[in-house]
Amino acid sequence: MEATAPEHGRDRAAAVPAAFERLFRAEYARVVRVAFRVVADQDEAEDVAQEVFLAFYRAHPASADYAAAWLHAAAAHTALNALRSRSRRTTREAAQAIPQDAASPDPADSVEAAETRVEVRAILARLPERDATILALRYAGLSYAEIAAAVDVRASSVGTLLRRAEEAFRRELR
Amino acid sequence: MNANEIERALGTEEPRTDTERGLERLRASVAREGLTPVVAPPGRRISTRGVQGLAAAATVVLVASALALSGVAGTVLTIFEPKSVTAVPVSQADLAQLGGACRGERLEECIGAYGTFAWTTPPQPREVRSLPAATAAAGFDVLAPSSLPQGVTGTARYGVINRSTATFTFSAEAARASAAKAGRTIPPLPKDVDGAKLTITGGPAAIQVWGATDPTATTTGPTGSAGGTLGGIPTLVIGQAKAPTVTSDGVTVDELRGYLLQQPGISPQLAAALRAITDPSSTLPVPVPAELAISHPVKVQGVDGLFIGDSTGLGSAVIWQKGGMMFEVLGTLTESQVLAVANSLK
Repeated sequence: MEATAPEHGRDRAAAVPAAFERLFRAEYARVVRVAFRVVADQDEAEDVAQEVFLAFYRAHPASADYAAAWLHAAAAHTALNALRSRSRRTTREAAQAIPQDAASPDPADSVEAAETRVEVRAILARLPERDATILALRYAGLSYAEIAAAVDVRASSVGTLLRRAEEAFRRELR
Repeated sequence: MNANEIERALGTEEPRTDTERGLERLRASVAREGLTPVVAPPGRRISTRGVQGLAAAATVVLVASALALSGVAGTVLTIFEPKSVTAVPVSQADLAQLGGACRGERLEECIGAYGTFAWTTPPQPREVRSLPAATAAAGFDVLAPSSLPQGVTGTARYGVINRSTATFTFSAEAARASAAKAGRTIPPLPKDVDGAKLTITGGPAAIQVWGATDPTATTTGPTGSAGGTLGGIPTLVIGQAKAPTVTSDGVTVDELRGYLLQQPGISPQLAAALRAITDPSSTLPVPVPAELAISHPVKVQGVDGLFIGDSTGLGSAVIWQKGGMMFEVLGTLTESQVLAVANSLK
C-alpha cells in the first residue's frame, strides 16, 4: 500500500478542478497582497494565502459567486489572526522579517522604516476587525466595489467606513 | 497623517507572487489531506447575500452554541466529557438531510428517530437579579467581562439553568419505524447499539445577556432546541456551564460514529471532518454551516478555542473549555470584539 501512496497522491493532486485552478490563478496574487499588507512578511503572506485557499477548497464550490469576496475577506481576517498570534515574536525579529526598503539606501532610514512598519502592524492588530480589514483591502489595491463585497456593505458606504478606519489608525499612531 | 502617508506606513513594496508555485503547493496539500472539491448543488445560486442567509447562519451558530451550553450536543455522536471544541463543517446538503431526518424542531423528535429520549431532570431556565445571585444559583463563580465593546449598552440580565439529566435508549425498531414513516431508508442499528443507554448530564449553566428582553429565551428550553432568530439575537451573550458528560452502559464512541457515518446523504466533507476528530470522547463537535459561516481555532483565556463567524462578519461566537467549564461569548460583534470580551472574563 505504501508504495502506491505517492502515485495516489499525484492522482488526487491532479484532481483539483479546473474551475478552482482558474479561481486560484485569478485571485492568488491579490490574496497574497492583502495578507502582505497586514503581516509585511513574504513567507507569512504566502502561508496565509495557502490557508485561505485551502479553507475555501474544503467548504465551497469554486463556482460560488461570492468566491472572490470570500477570499479577500478571509485573507485579511487570517492575516490579522496571524499578526495577533505573532506576539510571541520579538519586535526585533519582526523588524528583521521586513524587507529592506530599496528606496532607502541609508541603513538608518531602513531601520526607521522597519520600526515604523512594526509599529503599524501593532496598530493593525489593535484596531477593530472591520477597520483593519478595510485598510488592508484598500491599501492592497481593491476597489470600493470589491471592498463592499468583501465586508458586505453597500459600495456607497465604503468611503465613509474607510475614512473612519483611517481616523482610527491615526488615533492609534499618536 | 494623510492617506498617502498611511499607505506608505502600511508598506508600499509589493510581495513577490509565483502563482504556479502557489498552485503546486496547494495541489500537494489537497493530495496530502485527501480533500475532495465541493460541488455546487445544481440549479441553485449560492450567495452569502441577504438577510435570509445571515439569519440562517446566525441561527445555526446560536443553535450550536446553545446546544454546547446545554450539554445536549453530541448525544447522538459521542460519549464524552469535552476537553476541547472543534468545528465540523456542515453543508447545505447535510442540513437538508438533517431536516429530512428531523421532521420536528424538538431535539427529542429528531433523535427520537433512533430511540427513546427522556429527561430525568429537565433543564429549567430562570432569570435571577444579579451576578452574585447567578453565582449562588449556579454553584460556581460566574465570570463577568471587565469591559464591553462599543455598541453594547445597558445592564446585563442574568439567567441560570439547573443541572439537567436525560437518558437516551437506542432502538432498532424505533429507527426502522420512523425511517419507514418518513419514506427513508437508513442502515439498521448495529446489534451492540440496539438497546444501549446513554446518560447525558449538562449544567448547571449561567447566562449573561445584553440587549435582549429575556435572558432565558436565548438558551435552550426544555426541548433542547434553540428558538433564536435574527430578530431575537441579543447584542452580546456570555454563557458558562459545567462541561457536559455523556456516559454509556455499553456502546462505544467509535460504534456511534461509525453508525452516523453510514447515514445516507452525509457529505464527504462532513464525514472527513468527523473522522478527523482524533479523540471523540473529549472533543465537542460544533456544527458550522460551511457556506454561511467561517470558523477557525483561536487562543482564548490561554487555551485553544473555536471562533465561529457568519461570512459577512456581522455575527461572531467563540467557544472554549477550561477547568471543567464550557464558555461561550457570542453576539452581533466582530471577531476581535468577542475575543476581547472572552479574554476579559474574570
